[in-house]
Amino acid sequence: MLVQDDLLAPDVVRDPYGYFARLRETDPVHWNDRWGGWLVTRYDDVVRAFRDPERLSSDRMAHFQQELTEHDRERLHVLIKYFSKWLVFTDPPYHTRVRMLVNKAFTPTSVERLRPRVRQIVHELLDAVEGRGHMEFVREFAFHLPVIVISEYLGVPPEDREAVKEWSDETSRIFFIRADDPDRRERSQAGLVKLLEYFEPLIHDRRRNPRDDLVSALVQAEERGDLLSHDELLATCTVLLFAGHETTTNLLANGLLALLQHRDQWELLRQDPSLNRSATEELLRYDGPVKATFRWAKVDVELGGKTVRAGDRMLLVLASANRDPEKFPDPDRVDITRNPNPHVAFGHGIHVCLGAPMARLEGQEAFAALVQRFPHMRLASDELEYHPTIVSRALAELHVEW
Amino acid sequence: MRRLRIEVDYHRCVGSSICVLTAPRTFALNEQGQSAVLDPEGDPLEAVLEAAEGCPTMAITVFDADTGEQLFP
Ligand code: HEM
Ligand code: HEM
Ligand code: SF4
Repeated sequence: MLVQDDLLAPDVVRDPYGYFARLRETDPVHWNDRWGGWLVTRYDDVVRAFRDPERLSSDRMAHFQQELTEHDRERLHVLIKYFSKWLVFTDPPYHTRVRMLVNKAFTPTSVERLRPRVRQIVHELLDAVEGRGHMEFVREFAFHLPVIVISEYLGVPPEDREAVKEWSDETSRIFFIRADDPDRRERSQAGLVKLLEYFEPLIHDRRRNPRDDLVSALVQAEERGDLLSHDELLATCTVLLFAGHETTTNLLANGLLALLQHRDQWELLRQDPSLNRSATEELLRYDGPVKATFRWAKVDVELGGKTVRAGDRMLLVLASANRDPEKFPDPDRVDITRNPNPHVAFGHGIHVCLGAPMARLEGQEAFAALVQRFPHMRLASDELEYHPTIVSRALAELHVEW
Repeated sequence: MRRLRIEVDYHRCVGSSICVLTAPRTFALNEQGQSAVLDPEGDPLEAVLEAAEGCPTMAITVFDADTGEQLFP
């Protein structure tokens, strides 16, 4: 069978949905020789894989280390040490212990309390551009909202936000930047070191002067002894800061684009702002920020009629599962009233996104405010360019006018 | 003791296991990897409410079985 096998080919980056739909129809658990792993594209298979953490590992760093030379392992030891403690990269029992510690702070009920503040930030960001008649939405809005929200929640003071965002972006180079950037691992580690140096004194301060913020809560868990070690505390602060930046930015940008391209849905939301919850779910399903995520087989596993061998890696393609006609009627249509909408944009199973309630809240408030305040908003350019990465669905820019 | 009625919305449950870890005598994952109620009075009420609140998708609703009063959310 002839299939395009370059996951970073320009047409695949531009339209991953068409590409993955062909795979889903012809070979739903597909070995991609060039990338060296399995592509899982059917909803049922993706969900089955997510529900099997005993056999399908998330321990990316174990595999990452194996690929490095002794010399590189030495050079990247800080990165390896802390990333190995990041929730997304770990398996139970470590994962279970840390997830249960941070979970309380990220439940829908806990996060709902932030709604008035999120609404206020949304309006402040829009106030700043309203009179101008146009903006580059990614840089002028979608970048800022997630950083402000998570920084305030963690307890990072406003004056430090810019620097922290920059270090976090550096840290993320390893994930989202094309593999052909030769320095990306070193730069990622350098960013991480800055973040660690930043959080040390902040943690120290909250130990003496606890406040009503997340760092204080985590410090209390650390102090109770066996719950969270100091290194785990540092790792968790950095992952929380980092994990929601780029993803939420992309939710806002991809979502706005979809609304502008489907004017009837824009109008529908404008007439009934209470649809902002189901609209956010539909925008996550239709063009979510994360195209795919990884797993590694610990033992041989049967999936979709294929045998995935122990040691093989697989890409669970959320972007394809979310457009599977077996699960979603008329999947390529945007329908902001869709219900139920069991999309997997936030993953599924034990690693399901911790920050989902926060990202949802930001999406709901942003989309509702945009249609209300800029009823005549339109795209200022038809040219859309996406960053060439396997995992994220990220617009380089989104120019709009009103 | 207060008797409870607990409902899990299967369109919402994403199999995170958080309810199972919080109230292990009340919830268990079924064959489909979603939460099922083992015994509504398996754990103290506080643990059941904590499990429901901990659910990332608000899939769990807790009622007083006798009065019908909704206890969460
Ligand atoms: C729309 C925005 C977001 C999307 C689409 C998204 C997507 C995801 C996905 C797909 C996973 C699962 C990865 C896997 O199973 O391999 C995940 C995990 C995670 N996300 Fe998000 N995320 C978003 C926003 C956030 C925010 C705002 C935060 C933090 C405040 C966050 C923190 C995390 C963490 C800590 C994990 C790891 C959870 C675990 O392993 O238990 N995310 N996210
Ligand atoms: C939340 C914290 C996350 C961390 C710490 C993380 C970490 C990493 C690491 C260490 C790599 C390996 C880079 C290399 O091989 O040089 C990587 C690659 C990647 N990650 Fe993540 N990741 C995170 C979240 C996510 C999420 C939520 C997704 C989407 C589900 C994602 C998608 C990717 C992609 C697409 C790659 C490139 C893989 C490749 O080219 O082989 N990451 N990530
Ligand atoms: S906590 Fe919620 S999502 Fe997780 S298994 Fe229980 S009911 Fe399902």
